Amino acid sequence: MRETLRHAWIIGRKDLLLEFRSRTAILSAVVFTALVLVIFEFGRDPTAVATLDLAPSILWVTFSFAAMLGLNRAFQSELENQALDGLLLSPVSRVSLYWGKLLANLAFVAVVELVGLLLFTLFFNVPVGRILAPLLGVIALATIGFIAVGTLFSAMVIRTRFAELMLPVLLLPFLIPPLVGAVQVTAKLLAGRPLSEVGGWLRLLLAYDIVFVSLASILFPSTVTE
Amino acid sequence: MTLAQRGRWITAVALLLLAGVYVRALVFTPEEAHQGLAQKIFYVHAPAAWSAMLSMGLVGLASILFLLIKDPRYDRFAAASAEVGTAFSLVMLTTGPIWGKTIWGTWWTWDARLTLTLFLFFLFLGYLLMRGAVTEPGLRARYSAVLGICGLVLLPFIHLSVYLFRTLHPAPIVLKPSAPSLPPEMLVTLLSSFAVFTLLYVGFVTMRYAIGDGGGIDA
Amino acid sequence: MPEAVPQNGAYMVAAYIDAAVILLVYALTLFRRSRRPS
Repeated sequence: MRETLRHAWIIGRKDLLLEFRSRTAILSAVVFTALVLVIFEFGRDPTAVATLDLAPSILWVTFSFAAMLGLNRAFQSELENQALDGLLLSPVSRVSLYWGKLLANLAFVAVVELVGLLLFTLFFNVPVGRILAPLLGVIALATIGFIAVGTLFSAMVIRTRFAELMLPVLLLPFLIPPLVGAVQVTAKLLAGRPLSEVGGWLRLLLAYDIVFVSLASILFPSTVTE
Repeated sequence: MTLAQRGRWITAVALLLLAGVYVRALVFTPEEAHQGLAQKIFYVHAPAAWSAMLSMGLVGLASILFLLIKDPRYDRFAAASAEVGTAFSLVMLTTGPIWGKTIWGTWWTWDARLTLTLFLFFLFLGYLLMRGAVTEPGLRARYSAVLGICGLVLLPFIHLSVYLFRTLHPAPIVLKPSAPSLPPEMLVTLLSSFAVFTLLYVGFVTMRYAIGDGGGIDA
Repeated sequence: MPEAVPQNGAYMVAAYIDAAVILLVYALTLFRRSRRPS
């Protein structure tokens, strides 16, 4: 177990170092996130719909894009560097490989989401101070859900035709439970509702994460075994 | 008799029995007191849903067995069940909104069952698309198995999320959907329909399995 | 007060035809594909 985590950490770190050395992907992801928010800002009519009504949806559209960008980046670099083949030859367990990629993807998406959240509060004047902790919590839970399944599918999709198209197509149904839960919880939090009202959703998100991270860990080796 | 022939026979019989169920449902089953004739859609929609769920469940089961035992016949069965499931979920997805229009006054609502139907259909479609996009059979089998298992595990979560969502945002109801207590004639029609749809599943899957990759081996 | 029973027979017919068409067309494609010589 410790071995697995240690290897996962090493792999994740390697991925992230590669990423931050070139910095192109993270910068374009951040710029894109900002762009999405700006479009929402200029697209809305403040007299027609209250910001608070739109806010959860805006936030989660932005975060979904961030997640997809993160997954795409991971698999682009995979395609280009064929690092996966190299890693498979090393004495690292398949599960650590999955966890390493999972951690790297999560770190990448987390950075983009944090910037996105910051820009969101700036542009839309939405006070998140009081609810910051639970908000970060639900963002983390939902993102883990997206990325857990997304990392697994990325590994599969690399060797298919039309790979870039396949990933969102396969992933779509799997994004629904975390997304629906996240939007609901965010809406309630922004409206100042007590946490107890969103207990059911939070439990759903947690269960989803636990189930799919475990499932993906078990299934990942099958996607890379020869 | 080859597997393909057996499949054809079973399907032919099932289709004939389906015609019988149609006649029974349309002509000999009483109209429901408050919902009008559209309630009879239930006798087709519910069994189609059952067959679609059965297809998905068996895709999942075959996928697990394939990963454990590595016998390519499980993969072949999973592929067959997925295609058949797509057909049944298409029936579900089309009859559902038609019936829904009479109950809710609108073609679509993010009701738990309709939403589940939609995503079940997407899952089957994704599965088949992925199989089409991978050429090497061993790889295709493994990927399909992974997707099949994930899909099966996903279904309860989709159902739960939509159920949770709906308890907070109930759909407008013009008519109450069919009551759980069915008089005997309706129950018989419903059960016969379930039986026929199950037989149809068996016939379809047998033929599809026999077809395999198109090389069509006879077992 | 007796409610009027809604006149929605057309929907029933549409749904039954739709289901029959899908199932028959699918069955037909299976029949044809299974007869292709191996």
